[in-house]
Amino acid sequence: MTESTAALVPEIELEQISMQYPAAFSDVLALQDVSLSIAKGEFVSLLGPSGCGKTTLLRIMADLIQPTGGRIEVAGKSAKEARLAQRYGIVFQNPVLYDWRKVKQNITLPLELKGVKKSEREARAMELLELVGLQKFADQYPWQLSGGMQQRVAIARALAMEPEILLMDEPFSALDEFSRERLNEELLSIWSKVGNTIVFVTHNISEAVFLSDRVFVLSPHPGRLSAVAEISLPRPRTKEMRNSEAFFRLIAQIRDSFEGV
Amino acid sequence: MDGPLAAQVATQEDPVTHQTITASQKAKRKAGDGKASRIWLPLAGGVLFFVLWELQIFHRIFDLKTYQLPLPSAIGTTLVKNFDLLVNYAGYTLTEAVLGMLIGSALGFAVALIAAIWPRWGSGGVMIVASLNAVPIVALAPIMNLWFGADIGSRIAIVAFTTMAAMAINAHKGMKMIDPLALDLMHSYAATKFEVFRYVRITSSLPFVFTALKINTTASMIGAIVGEFFFASRGLGYLLSNSIKVAKMPLGWSCIVIAAAAGVLFYLVVERLEKVFIKWHPSQRA
Ligand SMILES: Nc1ncnc2c1ncn2[C@@H]1O[C@H](COP(=O)(O)OP(=O)(O)OP(=O)(O)O)[C@@H](O)[C@H]1O
Ligand SMILES: [Mg+2]
Repeated sequence: MTESTAALVPEIELEQISMQYPAAFSDVLALQDVSLSIAKGEFVSLLGPSGCGKTTLLRIMADLIQPTGGRIEVAGKSAKEARLAQRYGIVFQNPVLYDWRKVKQNITLPLELKGVKKSEREARAMELLELVGLQKFADQYPWQLSGGMQQRVAIARALAMEPEILLMDEPFSALDEFSRERLNEELLSIWSKVGNTIVFVTHNISEAVFLSDRVFVLSPHPGRLSAVAEISLPRPRTKEMRNSEAFFRLIAQIRDSFEGV
Repeated sequence: MDGPLAAQVATQEDPVTHQTITASQKAKRKAGDGKASRIWLPLAGGVLFFVLWELQIFHRIFDLKTYQLPLPSAIGTTLVKNFDLLVNYAGYTLTEAVLGMLIGSALGFAVALIAAIWPRWGSGGVMIVASLNAVPIVALAPIMNLWFGADIGSRIAIVAFTTMAAMAINAHKGMKMIDPLALDLMHSYAATKFEVFRYVRITSSLPFVFTALKINTTASMIGAIVGEFFFASRGLGYLLSNSIKVAKMPLGWSCIVIAAAAGVLFYLVVERLEKVFIKWHPSQRA
């Protein structure tokens, strides 16, 4: 583990986390002895091929499933306490929008549950829709939108509560390269303003490098942590950095760590 | 109508499968090009059916006399002659059916809600309602007559009884059959059980609720009419059973025609409401 960042206040700490789904469904260990520590305010990525346990790990952090082994702490308490304190915002791998609510009402849902006033939450929803470029679609139903647009609505919804911990499961994988890069930059600017902790799942190496402070590389069968890459690129990250030599070197380094598996 | 309950649980379309819907819509549009075949063929078939009936072809095939199966012309004239009475009785019977169906469906929904909130208690409740549904109207009628008198109340009770189960079973299924991720989302907001019901489960159950309501429109008409066979002094069922007893077959058949029309009307109203209330559901998307 890299000391430089993890030595700060740990926000999420995993110790020897293992996950074995019921034998009837899966005979392989989804996760085996994963230990890692994420600092408060850090931006980390979970990177790895399909089926290596990224979603499983994220769901354990979110207290949506319980690991079969190991320990997890969020800000010194259990993941359940963090969830009950409404500290999480989650973007799932699918958009998971409610068909009976218009786009705007999908975004206001978490605010409604928190008891925010109607005028206030609608204004906030419009702000967020503008951010993801969908203000024209506020009064449409989710199923009238394309897959990528639906995913952007889900991102706006996750940001609505300004969560202290943002867990994102391949949020941009349904988008074209241009939108993805633009939203990468938007996400970084939101993150620098809000200062939250972000755990970002992706299987795109350059995306992980561009966004993160650190990249956790996972390998499959059984799912385990195989490498940690410290991304030394300065902040704020700019478009131009995507063409820098340091950027390409980091990508190559991470790709090598895959081939070593 | 006391048939196997499994048949009353409609299979709903998975809310996620938009793609298949658009495909089927395309197919429908293609078929719509042949407007002539869509309207004129069934119409011609219908006309032919009545002509064969009027010309006593069916009577010859099935060896029936006209007092056994009256001719359409005879039914028509009787219907017109007794129109005011028939409409009046139809209103009475429809009132029983609608009120009974609303009460029965509300009770069924309540049972479903309780079963979904407290599964340990409630699944037993659904079982009980389902077994009540198996009690035939013939057995139910004298009991309800004893409890609620020979007036409208006893038929409302019969209809309520016979419509409860379809609603309880369907609504219960709708409240339980939720996309796990939709629940995960609520879970991640630390939503309470009550909030999960309010924001997700009840709305998700609406397509099932409307399926039950549609089943219940026909079931409630049957319940009201058959209920009137026994102790009533008004209504289509009363007139129907008495007409047959005294061999006034054309009048009996007029009752059947009017009852069918009332039933279809009731069904169309519910279908219209469904279009308004669940326009977000794949089955209703234009
Ligand atoms: N609910 C489940 N029941 C049984 N096995 C599961 C379940 N969810 C995941 N698995 C198994 O756990 C392993 C890891 O799955 P997971 O969804 O975490 O992978 P992933 O890294 O997110 O993959 P992808 O990039 O395709 O989303 C897989 O082998 C999968 O088959
Ligand atoms: Mg995944």
